Amino acid sequence: MAISLPMQLTVNGRLHRVAEPQGTLLDLLRDDLALTGTKLVCDRGECGACTVLLDGRTVYACLTLAAACDGTTITTVEGLGGVDGSMNDLQQAFITHDAAQCGFCTPGQLIAAHDLLVRHAAPSESEIVAAMSGNLCRCGTYPKIVRAIQAVAAARHESSATSATPGVPRGA
Amino acid sequence: MARKAKPKAGGFVPTTVEVEGRTETRIVEVPAFEPEPWTTDTPLHIVGARVPRMDAHEKVNGRARYTADITRPGMLHAVIVRAHTARGHIAQFDASAARALPGVYDIMGPGDAPAKTRLFGTEIFYHDQPVAAVCADTLANAERAARAIAISYNHLPFAAIFDDAAAPDAPLVKPGGNFAPQSPVIIERGEIAAGLAAADIVITREFRTPVQLHSALEPHGACAEWEGDRLTVWESTQGIFRTRGDVARALDIPQSKVRVIKDYMGGGFGAKNGAGPHTYVAALFAKRMNRAVRCLNDREAEQVDSGNRPATVQRVTIGAKKNGTLTVIQLSADVPLGISGWEGGPAQIYHELYACPNVRSEERFAYINASGMQAFRGPGYVEGAFGLEGAMNALATALRMDPLALRRKNFTKKDPRQGRPYSGNALLACYTEGAERFGWNTSRAAQTGRVSRGVGLAAQVWPTGGGPPSYAHVRINADASVDVLAGTQDLGTGARTVLSQIAAEALGANLSHVRAIIGDTEHLPYAGNSWGSMTTPSVGPAVRMAAMDAQSQLFQAAAAMLDTTPDMLDARDSRLTVRNTDRSMSFADVCKRLGNVMIYGKGSRGPNPANTAINTFGVQFAEVEVHLDTGIVKVLRIVAAHDAGRIINPTLAESQLEGGILQGMGYALTEERILDRRLGMVMNPSLHDYKIPTMADVPQIDAFFVAGADAAANHTGARGIAEPPVIPTAPAIAAAVADAIGAEVLQIPLTPWRVLASVPARR
Ligand code: FES
Ligand code: FES
Repeated sequence: MAISLPMQLTVNGRLHRVAEPQGTLLDLLRDDLALTGTKLVCDRGECGACTVLLDGRTVYACLTLAAACDGTTITTVEGLGGVDGSMNDLQQAFITHDAAQCGFCTPGQLIAAHDLLVRHAAPSESEIVAAMSGNLCRCGTYPKIVRAIQAVAAARHESSATSATPGVPRGA
Repeated sequence: MARKAKPKAGGFVPTTVEVEGRTETRIVEVPAFEPEPWTTDTPLHIVGARVPRMDAHEKVNGRARYTADITRPGMLHAVIVRAHTARGHIAQFDASAARALPGVYDIMGPGDAPAKTRLFGTEIFYHDQPVAAVCADTLANAERAARAIAISYNHLPFAAIFDDAAAPDAPLVKPGGNFAPQSPVIIERGEIAAGLAAADIVITREFRTPVQLHSALEPHGACAEWEGDRLTVWESTQGIFRTRGDVARALDIPQSKVRVIKDYMGGGFGAKNGAGPHTYVAALFAKRMNRAVRCLNDREAEQVDSGNRPATVQRVTIGAKKNGTLTVIQLSADVPLGISGWEGGPAQIYHELYACPNVRSEERFAYINASGMQAFRGPGYVEGAFGLEGAMNALATALRMDPLALRRKNFTKKDPRQGRPYSGNALLACYTEGAERFGWNTSRAAQTGRVSRGVGLAAQVWPTGGGPPSYAHVRINADASVDVLAGTQDLGTGARTVLSQIAAEALGANLSHVRAIIGDTEHLPYAGNSWGSMTTPSVGPAVRMAAMDAQSQLFQAAAAMLDTTPDMLDARDSRLTVRNTDRSMSFADVCKRLGNVMIYGKGSRGPNPANTAINTFGVQFAEVEVHLDTGIVKVLRIVAAHDAGRIINPTLAESQLEGGILQGMGYALTEERILDRRLGMVMNPSLHDYKIPTMADVPQIDAFFVAGADAAANHTGARGIAEPPVIPTAPAIAAAVADAIGAEVLQIPLTPWRVLASVPARR
């Protein structure tokens, strides 16, 4: 019999109590909390589509036991922007640079890119590639993703230099 | 409004449509009017603009709903059980233990599915063939029950490779024989003997290409729900109407009782062209249990049994005069299709890319005991390009001729097969601009050391005319917002955006007021499958015509309000102006005055121009670095120049080019399904063992289109672009590797061990 303890976790800023988490964090997010933005592709840590932030670190939700997430804080793609669907600068840059074709890998790409930019405000191209190579995209959006990340890094740098609010990248 | 008088409007005429290399004759009605073509010089504002993808917002905030994200009240989950033998019969099938497990609702096994679904027979033809299915309250319970079904098999001998199926004493792969009905397919022009006699140099080579797996990140899947005798299917598909037809036929119900919905989908690449076992399983369980049922392939099922690009062996003989003029091309090819598929072999491109008077191809198509092939982005042409362009490069070396010069020399001004003129052909401009941007003529330093660089190129042709039937409606709402309705689908290609741009341009509307509604058979007019790079050239003209029809109605309504005649009106940015005056009125004001009068424009795709070849062309240049001690190939850069007529949205089109190039690069370097010949089993059914390119593999890509609309192809001037870019990449990379190692490359993928084996000993 699986472990069945009630637990609490914070997802995208909202506290949830979950009765009997039996599967993975991905099941919990998608099935119990109806946060279907995070995708299932390989179910074994090979593609990055299920990448979410767990206490500020990226994890593969398909390889993370839900029961091990008691007391944690999770961020998914739905939590990057506002609850009203408004977007942050990274999401906007993905649109501007056409970094999503079918969009199925995009939630994982965004979380991985978000994490990279938290850790490296100004990543070099090789740092971007190293950080993002665990996220597969069959549509081949990689060049556009690199550009989107670079644009956000540049815009954030500029806006922190002028101490304005984070800007939205413009132009293709 | 510009209209060309057309005879027989409303009547029906035959027209030819090329679908992925197959030419079909269709009977289609002549549209009520045929718009004047948008030529290269037509001033357009929205068509041709780098508009952001209009559904990108939902994709980046996680709200885009894919089939796996669809849940219905009380929905159950279905799992397909697959065979553990490559050939045989089910000896025993025992689901009693499975039925007793918690959460299990229903199980279908041998004989339980209607014959027309072709599911769950007792005879097994390939490893992982569906043999049963389980329906349970949760996916985990369904999977547990699936594992609890006990099946034993009587095993039979089988053939898992072409040579085993073609051998004189071969086991019977399936009833009806081991060769496809049309096999061998022979296509011929001129006289091979004369071509050989006329040649100064003749070379012969044998090329081999692997089985490539589509590997769309979203697996095949469906969610089905009945309401009385009406069935709704949410399906990840490239063809909602084809899926509807498949389902209606298999379940013996009228098409009007089946609704197929596809909202977002995570890639198709040719493998999602109709209903599949998952669709029927979901629909059947949903009927039996009177509950919604979702059935999705897991990753392993997706990799082993959802279609593939078949392997080929291509024996090529090619001959030319000393000056490079081709005199003969001969191909003999073997293609193992798997257990099913169509005769989509490598030959077509051999007949279409170059001027050559004597060309003959003979393709043998065998069935083997393995999952069936499906169209895969540029089917046949991708495989064929590797052989043809490899042979052309070998010929260039033998002639001591620049491979680009050899291609220019054999450029064809007419479709070499039927002698038809092209609607447009800017391949020479592609050669020139591509070579320039790549620096093809720059001399390269002599190589020293253990890392060697090389360059190479390959060209491409692909039929991209699209064609009828395809319909669209454009509806102007009471607040002047605009709905574009077309029963097509967006696979991640950008169809929503492109069709909105065409409608906004033709109507004179502000793009932000326009929304394309697609992907629902119940409410939308028919459009064909999104395959063969056909959506833009097929649906685009219908949308334009519908928008023009709507505009003409709007003009008639507004003329009275503006005290003028319709022919004096212009529209732009959702505003009407009376020519040569300062009188104007917004669409919104006109619509407000009209109240709920519905302006409803209709359009359809007219016949293709008679006797005209419509193709997209291109050339790609590659530079690679090969480590001579490890055999590791790094692609440094790709320059891609393509001619697809008018580009509706350059940003989205470039994304398509990049995506195609990266799939071609995977085909060249790493992608190969490994099927064990003795077990008939796929040995690498995961994304770890079947390697698609990652971000770390991406070269510098400079992909662009040469300018110019193709007004003769259709009245939007646009041809298709989805498939062309994947065609020349692998042969261009192979040529670059050959250049780097100083030896020819005859087989892909260029895995390190294969490259090492090809590096000449002296290096
Ligand atoms: S689904 Fe988790 S890594 Fe692929
Ligand atoms: S956008 Fe389609 S898989 Fe990445």
